[in-house]
Amino acid sequence: MSKTSVPNQRRWRPAFDSLIFLAVLAGLGWLVVEGADTLHYNWQWYRVPQYLYRFEDGVFYPGPLLRGLGVTLELTGWSLLLTVAFGLSAALLQRSTSWAGHAVARVYVEIVRNTPMLVQLYLVYFVLAPILDMDRFAAAVLALAIFEGAFAAEIFRAGIEAIPRGQWEAGRALGLSPYAVYRYVILPQAVRLMLPPLTGLAVSLIKHSALVSVIAVADLTTEGRNLIADTFMTFELWFTVAALYLALTVSLSLLVGWLERRLPVHGAGRG
Amino acid sequence: MLAVVFGLIGYVVYRAQSHFHYDWDWRLIPGYFIRYDAEQGDWVLNLLGQGFLATVRLALWGGVLAALIGGAMGVCRVTHVLFFRLLGWTYVGLIRNIPPLVFIFIFYFFISGQLLPLLDIENRIAGATPETLRVLAWLFGPLELLPNFLSGLICLALFEGAYVTEIVRAGIEAVPKGQWEAARALGLHAGQVMGEVVLPQAVQKMVPALAGQFIALIKDSSLISLISIQELTFTGTELAVSSGRVFEVWLTVAALYFLLCFGLARLFGWLERRLGRYRRR
Repeated sequence: MSKTSVPNQRRWRPAFDSLIFLAVLAGLGWLVVEGADTLHYNWQWYRVPQYLYRFEDGVFYPGPLLRGLGVTLELTGWSLLLTVAFGLSAALLQRSTSWAGHAVARVYVEIVRNTPMLVQLYLVYFVLAPILDMDRFAAAVLALAIFEGAFAAEIFRAGIEAIPRGQWEAGRALGLSPYAVYRYVILPQAVRLMLPPLTGLAVSLIKHSALVSVIAVADLTTEGRNLIADTFMTFELWFTVAALYLALTVSLSLLVGWLERRLPVHGAGRG
Repeated sequence: MLAVVFGLIGYVVYRAQSHFHYDWDWRLIPGYFIRYDAEQGDWVLNLLGQGFLATVRLALWGGVLAALIGGAMGVCRVTHVLFFRLLGWTYVGLIRNIPPLVFIFIFYFFISGQLLPLLDIENRIAGATPETLRVLAWLFGPLELLPNFLSGLICLALFEGAYVTEIVRAGIEAVPKGQWEAARALGLHAGQVMGEVVLPQAVQKMVPALAGQFIALIKDSSLISLISIQELTFTGTELAVSSGRVFEVWLTVAALYFLLCFGLARLFGWLERRLGRYRRR
């Protein structure tokens, strides 16, 4: 608005603001360092890299933190698969004409969305896992998938409902079975619409996977906590762990932004 | 597909019955909410009751604080002063891309280590009159836990504030540009445009999303049990360990959260429909 009306006065404004911003960041950084000083905190950044990786005789060995990152990725991958399965089943059940199917999907979604993830994790780990004889990792994957599945169900439902009714009717009129209509007509179009919210889901899955450290699955957060207990390098290690998560989630968001530009929406959703 | 779902549920029940002999005992549970204290000769809240109350208090105060932070940061995100935009962007970007758990651990060390000694709460409490103490206890729960409660509260509010920021930003951006231009054209200055024209309209658009975020806040408040803030999940953990009644306690805790959140969701939905009808008229 007024940016264009007084160009001269505002030409240096962005540079000025960026400078203040950097100054504030520097001030916050100084506060952290100063605060740590009053606690007589001994910064030992030089000790962090050995926990990330090490080279012995030119061979690369991942340290505990990178191994934890690997477990986090593995955990996220498996639960993402299961989440999609849960979410798609719940969405299809919710749309089915069967009264019981609708009720089951509804109860599942409402229960999951109205209880905290942590409590669900405890329930799966302490109640379901001993019954089904699952190990920690399986319990963690299941708890994450149950939780995110309820949110995925809503994404799938919205994606499917965004496909115009005419597509359904045309599919049925061509003599396709309901399954074939879903498989060959609806889902291929819906997937493109569901891609952005599903990435949000994957990012949220990565973040929630940090919770499984409370049941001692050896993910990034657990490794960080263990190292802190061993070395007392609280700040360095938490900052490193946070930076690793940040790198993971931000690169995922960027990747999907790129994918979205590569795959334009075909017709659907414009009308 | 239904057959598969019921098959799985049936399998779990079958396993629970045949392979796993757990003797259910629900009789102890009501006693964990409220018990008769022989010394005081009165009914007092037991662990679960206290935890539930602490969760409610955390949710209310956390909601207020998060709304303040989110409101300020949300306005920051849409001003055309680059400095404020950068500030808001950094805040939201950092918090939304770090796992809540990691954020909570990092901030816990800062807040409990630095911010709280600054406030000097323990000495202030020691110097307060019994009257203020009673009010404080009613507002924030047991006073010996106040510093602990506050650090949890600040953590939670900072964390949820980032989400509120985005809701506020979306709400403000949803106000048509013409409103801004009309207000400017009438000669209002920037503060008036925001405060008297844009925000009142934006708030209406934000309410449903804010209600949802409030429920999310209640759920996320369970996370701060991990830094020993004594709310429902924390007392649940304590009780499950000390009483050994793991299944009953966890099912009860889950049911409590469900009642709270589902009830609120229903209430907000109902209010929204009422208000919607009123507005259309």
